[in-house]
Amino acid sequence: MNKRGFHKWLLLLALLLFAAVPATAVVNVQCPGDTNGDAVINGSGDPAHPNAQCMHLAAGDGFVTMADGYPQYMFGFADITGTPPKKALDVGTLAATFPAPPITLDEGDEFFLSLTNVGMLMRPDLFDPHTVHWHGFPEAASVFDGVPDSSISINMGSTLTYYYNVVEPGTYMYHCHVEATEHMQMGMLGNLYVRPAQDGTTLEYPAGSGKTYNKFAYNDGDGSTGYDVDFPIQIGSFDSAFHDASLTVQPLPFAMMRDNYPMLNGRGYPDTVQVAGPDAPPEANPVSGNSTQPESSLVTAAPGQRVLLRISNLNVTRFYTLQTLGVSMQVVGKDASIHRGPDGKDLYYMTNSVVLGGGESLDAIIEIPESATAGTTYFLYTSNLNYLSNNEEDFGGMMTEIRVN
Amino acid sequence: MKKLFRRHTGVPIAFAALLLLLSPIGTDAAIDGIVAANTATLNLTAKVDHISTPDGGSMLIWGYADDDNHANNGSRATYPGPTLIVTQGTSVTINLKNNLPVPVSMVFPGQQGVSTSGGFPGLLTAEVPAYDPAVIPEPVVTYSFIASEPGTYIYHTGTRQELGIEMGLMGAIVVRPNMGAGYAYNHADTQYDREYLFFLSEMDGNIHQLVEIHGPDSTLLQESDYLSDYFSTYWFINGRNAPDTFSASYVSWLPTQPYGGLPRMHPGERMLMRIVGGGRDLHPFHFHGNHARVIGMDGRMLESAPGNGPDLSYKSFTTQSVPGKTVDQIFEWTGKGLGWDMYGHAAGDPLEPNEYAPDHGKPIPVALPETQDLAFGGFYSGSPYLGSLGSLPPGEGGLNPNAGFTYMWHSHTEKELTNWDIFPGGMMTMMVIEPPGAPIP
Repeated sequence: MNKRGFHKWLLLLALLLFAAVPATAVVNVQCPGDTNGDAVINGSGDPAHPNAQCMHLAAGDGFVTMADGYPQYMFGFADITGTPPKKALDVGTLAATFPAPPITLDEGDEFFLSLTNVGMLMRPDLFDPHTVHWHGFPEAASVFDGVPDSSISINMGSTLTYYYNVVEPGTYMYHCHVEATEHMQMGMLGNLYVRPAQDGTTLEYPAGSGKTYNKFAYNDGDGSTGYDVDFPIQIGSFDSAFHDASLTVQPLPFAMMRDNYPMLNGRGYPDTVQVAGPDAPPEANPVSGNSTQPESSLVTAAPGQRVLLRISNLNVTRFYTLQTLGVSMQVVGKDASIHRGPDGKDLYYMTNSVVLGGGESLDAIIEIPESATAGTTYFLYTSNLNYLSNNEEDFGGMMTEIRVN
Repeated sequence: MKKLFRRHTGVPIAFAALLLLLSPIGTDAAIDGIVAANTATLNLTAKVDHISTPDGGSMLIWGYADDDNHANNGSRATYPGPTLIVTQGTSVTINLKNNLPVPVSMVFPGQQGVSTSGGFPGLLTAEVPAYDPAVIPEPVVTYSFIASEPGTYIYHTGTRQELGIEMGLMGAIVVRPNMGAGYAYNHADTQYDREYLFFLSEMDGNIHQLVEIHGPDSTLLQESDYLSDYFSTYWFINGRNAPDTFSASYVSWLPTQPYGGLPRMHPGERMLMRIVGGGRDLHPFHFHGNHARVIGMDGRMLESAPGNGPDLSYKSFTTQSVPGKTVDQIFEWTGKGLGWDMYGHAAGDPLEPNEYAPDHGKPIPVALPETQDLAFGGFYSGSPYLGSLGSLPPGEGGLNPNAGFTYMWHSHTEKELTNWDIFPGGMMTMMVIEPPGAPIP
């Protein structure tokens, strides 16, 4: 073949290659009442969907910093709600946060969740699709369940909008289900909870106590899940060898996976109790400027207040036990359900420790003693004591504080 | 798009039945095992054999082999051992012989009044000595008990359990209540339409290789710290790793792993899940699709007083499976409250059985992306609607001939979705909501 002929073939090959790129790939947010595609409802919204809630998540990659200063590459989600569709890929790239942006909804909402796959900037060799699995969604349809084997996953450069009619309140969680062992170890995990329709009504609990509540974990009918303040606490842990292998494009150690960075809401102690300021992790993402570990796990409450802990576990390697020191927990919900028998019998129980495997959630209420003074600190920590560590740093890990204010 | 099932339409059903016959996907809607009523006599021999794993591996096992060959596998050892299914009050007699190079026995946690004859006394129960061809007749130990309480139970070796259970000397016992078929316990609220067993276990492949090459008493095994450094690499449902869990029971290519694990049901039915912690690790068993209600544990209904029924039952979407523990729970699914018609009906179409009427005729509120923008799963029918097949690119789909809704049921310790470093696999199966009218064997 002469040189000219070779070029002709090369040109043909290039044409074929470009023709193979899907021409339809497009950021396409579906949100009733949103007129400009940024997932924010404009004006009074769509009268056909008065309870619509919209969110736009980018699925991609990013970096976080462990409590001992060690940087970790991760896959994750970023909240790009409000971003014009033309800028979605730019804003969403390398913007992943850990945990994933929290999703909070009200019973009765219609939730339109648009997921745009922005690709993994640090792993251009990967063409992974992504999904959102609303873990625990009751009476789910498989098309919106996010399991790649059962349904559809979104390829890079495009958007899939999930629809959820939100009927059951409770503490759920969400994660990507594509190549679940890998994508979940890599950090595509987040908090998700639904407030009950009972919120806004005022109930006295216990009866005759004079204490009233207007926020509840569930539609309990008697105020027994009433609380003053609530905090989502998501258990997670990273295996740094796995993350490092991913960043350096090495074979992934599935069998040898052993997590060495135990965390609550994406941070190890003492980062878990940082709220803001120069000590708070992480350094901002070098590209987007956004914080990549924005969620503090510091629990604050006043004497006599009831604190609802929405505890979930999305680590992929083991069971963890969380223990309280100084105050007890009353478990009122399990797996996004009020903990009651079919005839309404309370199965609530008092405990100082809860055991959760991956994919389990619990609602636990802590009552701060009336006698507690401001500045009193209680602890919430794992009693799997070797996990009170940030890798080789033996003071840290899966722990946070409950401070009386 | 093509509707697969319409009531009063026989042709598509026959077509689908044919597809099912040809498909390697499919298992029975009941629990497979050795079924007996009133009296049950099992003749078992502990034997050495191998199982196969989907990564192409082969692992040495010790298993209870059924001398009467119910599984039609040449009386080979199985992993786990035979599932014994009896009715409450059945007098169970098990005659155990031993072909293993180590002593063996059987214990029955949760059963009362187990008596033994023959063999020699061990720490927990009578044991059959290690195989010795010079000893004639072959030693036999007989274990007898009355299965007095309904529920799900485990049995396993009572001899050198730290190695024996790892090697596969364990199995399940299902005791049905006097109340009759279709109940988990003696109460109407424990009714179910279909039942499935989820016998969860794990293996540390290194132990099996050391036993195979050097024997159970080798110093190499002892020096491997196989107890303190236990590190599992395979995870099983009913003795199989995904995707072998999808295959039917008793398939010829898995002679030592006879039990499938592909649960299927129609909308509106009640499925009894019997979850058994058969190994030595905890597993968070997550079932996509809906909550289940936990009605019993260790063969005891969660009731506050006799006659109350499962009034202490609670809802769960991830059930902790603890070693040695059994959990009975009822799973239901109707698609209630989705906010759109999951059949894709027009408003004037008739309702399907158990369809949630308020959503009838409501269109799906979002448009799905173009084919080119999507990756497809093997269980995706090409359509978001139950019982409808949509168009898929060549080579996609194909594992879901009835266009059911499919849900992953799996260990949520996602590390356990691997077969010795190979993803995907492990402790995972799919549950299929079949459209009304689709046959479930």
